[in-house]
Amino acid sequence: MEDIHIEGVHEAFFTPTVNFEVATGHCEISGESYLEETSKFYARLIEWMKKYIAEVKGPLTFDFKLSYFNTSSSKCLVDILDVLKKYQNDGGKIEVNWYYDDTEEELEEVEDFILETGLDINKIPIEI
Amino acid sequence: MHKNKKCTKFAKNIKRIGMEKLDGKYDFSLYEYHNLLQQNILVSYKGPIDERIMNVIGDNIELVTNDGNDKAKSKIFKIFMELAQNVWLYSAESCKTASGRKLGMGTLVIGEFGDSYTFVTGNVVRNSDIEPVIEKCEIINSLDRDSLREYRREQRRLGGDKKNSGNIGLIQVALTAESPLDIELTPVSDDESFFSVAVKIKKTVN
Repeated sequence: MEDIHIEGVHEAFFTPTVNFEVATGHCEISGESYLEETSKFYARLIEWMKKYIAEVKGPLTFDFKLSYFNTSSSKCLVDILDVLKKYQNDGGKIEVNWYYDDTEEELEEVEDFILETGLDINKIPIEI
Repeated sequence: MHKNKKCTKFAKNIKRIGMEKLDGKYDFSLYEYHNLLQQNILVSYKGPIDERIMNVIGDNIELVTNDGNDKAKSKIFKIFMELAQNVWLYSAESCKTASGRKLGMGTLVIGEFGDSYTFVTGNVVRNSDIEPVIEKCEIINSLDRDSLREYRREQRRLGGDKKNSGNIGLIQVALTAESPLDIELTPVSDDESFFSVAVKIKKTVN
């Protein structure tokens, strides 16, 4: 099993920067997410998580540091959170940190992810 | 202002040249069109939409919304991305690129009115397709903020097809704008209408 390293790009589409490490179980998604094939992009990340959970069975720490994501991406982010929630229910050790622009709207968005998935997410505000 | 005056003066002095060659088909004054757009309009675009156009207009909106604070600019950008995407994907009027990609055609306008910006998109739709969207818009406008958030959570859970993500887009737009969706549907033929969505965004967001 290998790490995932994707360098973010801001061109016509926006690819987020992704770093998933097998050795530490540390996963970070940052930058902006507006993709041509959103589901395909995130399917690869979810596949990695499922493999890690099945084979490595270690802890997972997730840092979400997205400054922008469109609604299609938000569906895929919920899919990621669902996988984490299931792993936690099955006894896996997880920690999820969500960094958000310090506005009421962004805070509501994180709170809605928490309500939607039933997952504990640490809300970490950053000034814009 | 000074610049405008100068242009008017210049326009009075020039004659139209080569009109007869266009065989009378040139019945449209670009100057009048430009003047119309000068009234509170910051950016306007009509034509096919794809990610490159969205990229350029998205960046340009940032340049012309000088009175908006950073939070307002970020809201305008988010709204623009969702609404422009909807025109691209759902317009009944479209063209195809050489590689066969379908690009929806439509109109995008951002205007400035007092302490707010108004962002409007419009495109032709088939009446049979638009009915559920209109219903959705009515639901969106009838809900208070908490219920609207609940609606977004609920809708996000439903299937992953394109149509559905468009509907979340409109919920997201209403939440981001913190204002209702101003919808207009104008019949253009027996089975098609022109569908427009306008939202207001305050220039100063706390």
